[in-house]
Amino acid sequence: MTGGTAGGMTPGGMDRDERELFAKSVQHATANHTGAALDAALADLGWLDALAADRRTAVAVLFEHQGAANATSSALGLVVAATLGAGPDPGVGVVLPAAGAWGPPGRARGDTLTVRGLGLAGLADRAEALVVAAPDGSGGPTAVRVRVADLALRPIGGLDPALGLMEVTGEGVPAGERFDPGAEAWEAAVAAGRLALAHEILGASRSMLRLARDHATERIQFGRPIASFQAVRHRLAEAFVALEAAEAALDAGWRDGSPRGAALAKALVGVGARTTAGHAQQVLAGIGFTTEHGFHHHMRRARVLDQLLGSAKTLTRQLGEDLLRARRLPALLPL
Amino acid sequence: MDLEEFRSGLDAWLDENAAALARDHDGLPTLDQEMAQIAKVKRLAYDAGWIRYGWPERVGGLGGSSLLRGYLAEAVTARDLVDPGLFSMTEVLAPTMIDYARPELAAEMVPRLLRGDETWCQGFSEPGTGSNLASLSCRATRTDDGWVVNGQKVWTSLAQYAQRCVLLTRTGTPESAHRGITALFVDMDSPGITIRPIVTIHGREEFCEVFFDDVVVPADRTLGEEGQGWAVAMDLLPFERSTALWQRGAFLYRRLDELVATAPESLTPDQVGEVFLALYGFRARSLATQHRLASGERLGPETSVDKVLLATAEQAVFDAAADALADHVMFGDDGDAPRWRAEYLYSRAATIYGGSAEIQRNIIARKLLDLGADR
Repeated sequence: MTGGTAGGMTPGGMDRDERELFAKSVQHATANHTGAALDAALADLGWLDALAADRRTAVAVLFEHQGAANATSSALGLVVAATLGAGPDPGVGVVLPAAGAWGPPGRARGDTLTVRGLGLAGLADRAEALVVAAPDGSGGPTAVRVRVADLALRPIGGLDPALGLMEVTGEGVPAGERFDPGAEAWEAAVAAGRLALAHEILGASRSMLRLARDHATERIQFGRPIASFQAVRHRLAEAFVALEAAEAALDAGWRDGSPRGAALAKALVGVGARTTAGHAQQVLAGIGFTTEHGFHHHMRRARVLDQLLGSAKTLTRQLGEDLLRARRLPALLPL
Repeated sequence: MDLEEFRSGLDAWLDENAAALARDHDGLPTLDQEMAQIAKVKRLAYDAGWIRYGWPERVGGLGGSSLLRGYLAEAVTARDLVDPGLFSMTEVLAPTMIDYARPELAAEMVPRLLRGDETWCQGFSEPGTGSNLASLSCRATRTDDGWVVNGQKVWTSLAQYAQRCVLLTRTGTPESAHRGITALFVDMDSPGITIRPIVTIHGREEFCEVFFDDVVVPADRTLGEEGQGWAVAMDLLPFERSTALWQRGAFLYRRLDELVATAPESLTPDQVGEVFLALYGFRARSLATQHRLASGERLGPETSVDKVLLATAEQAVFDAAADALADHVMFGDDGDAPRWRAEYLYSRAATIYGGSAEIQRNIIARKLLDLGADR
């Protein structure tokens, strides 16, 4: 057979046993820790080494478990930094694009920066942050270190306060050490971030489906489990189909390696998450509408993460605009 | 031969033989024209060897991965040389013969199908047996040297063209359900077979009613063992949802590409994006399925996911076409209008044939989500 197998391929860095061991320790970490404690646990288990050795496995495993467990970490920033070639440093935070945007969060003005972006929960504990800045005039983006103390951080409550996002702004922020990551680097960093977010949203969605599935088999009405009613079964089947398509697109996104592949994957995962949230909530009915049940954490997380680095809706529209402009479809996933 | 070698070799052959392979009709083909075109393409591809790759040597094949078949199907569809649904019936019926027919019978018959000398049909559904396949009642009665068949089939695609039929019959008691079914390989010119084509809403006599009155079938035409017909059917159905769907996806890709090229001003970015995304999701899923098939995995209920995705994408593509080309589809009688209209109408069946959308969701609920029995 030529090319990779679409089924269980072994990524370059880790063999099967190593991957299983790695996945087990990541699952343990995400199930028991969140926030700064999860960052520490990931450092202990060597997640950064895994990221360097086998990026796909490190990202897929961590973000899917993190999403499934409704945990948070600073890993998304490290993925972006690693893709920029910054040599990810857990001591340095990363400023992400503002909600709904995917352009560089900074703008260079001589020796200072204007910053409009988002920070993950751990940013406030870091002394320094990496900001990618669009160039003042021509040329590519610059990656700049700034002092977190020079930025204004506003905690975001919103739909998912537990995510701990922060709005990051700054005017005339003094630029520290800087490097030129190359013209394509920002696009690649956004693509890597989208794949990571897609895995996290997929993990949250799988949790929503699992909760609804378990509820349907346990909840008895009219003398039988509600899972025996076709109206309920078909909702869960519909969610399952949407997530299978999303997972296949994620696999294709890694394989293809292009920014478009990552955008398509994130869009399909976003669509799958929305489909799953709707059906799972309806099947969970009253209890799923309460804070006594875990469903709402996953629904909030999936919905908010969908907005980062381009939502399913925006990415889909942009894709449509591209196709209509080109008046043709791009070549697709060869056998 | 590996896939890369096959891909470049086949592409070059299709280019060099474009004139010989081309359709010799304009506009929307009649079913007779389509069948003649498929036979021509198969014959040329057989003589050049291409259609023999991916099939075992004992049935006239040249060996190699099933991915080679997938690429052939995709390539002839991308060039609009064949109707994907009719062409892909080989993908459903040949594996059944290879797995269940006597080796001599498979060796004799499968090459005729691959070369386009023969058309075969699939006698499964009955007037009283649609989604509930295990309730079928077309009866085969044991004789000294074989079977006598009495009963009726319906929705039998291409029966009026077919030389052979893979037929499911009731050989157990009426209550024996899936245990009392036997598969037979029947010559369609046997005395006692009557065929009545049915005109579909897209204007083709694509499927038929088939009546069996005391039709004699020799014992050596039994596929598998007596009472094994359910296994034959269950093994056949995933093939309807693997290479055949991959080819249908290639067809949808070509038509969406043509729609975007023809009528970009009548389409909204959101709509085009959503349709493309649906098609891409199907393709990503089906790609994994093609590789699982090629690696020797036995396909099963998980292919129902592929079918739901394909049917959804197909209707999305032609809903978009019917909106963007409304004048053509509703009022047009010239040029491309009859084709868009026929394909739009045909797409309505995507959630019905080959196991309805509801049946696929039932399979997913029971086998993949483990939701238990539905009553």
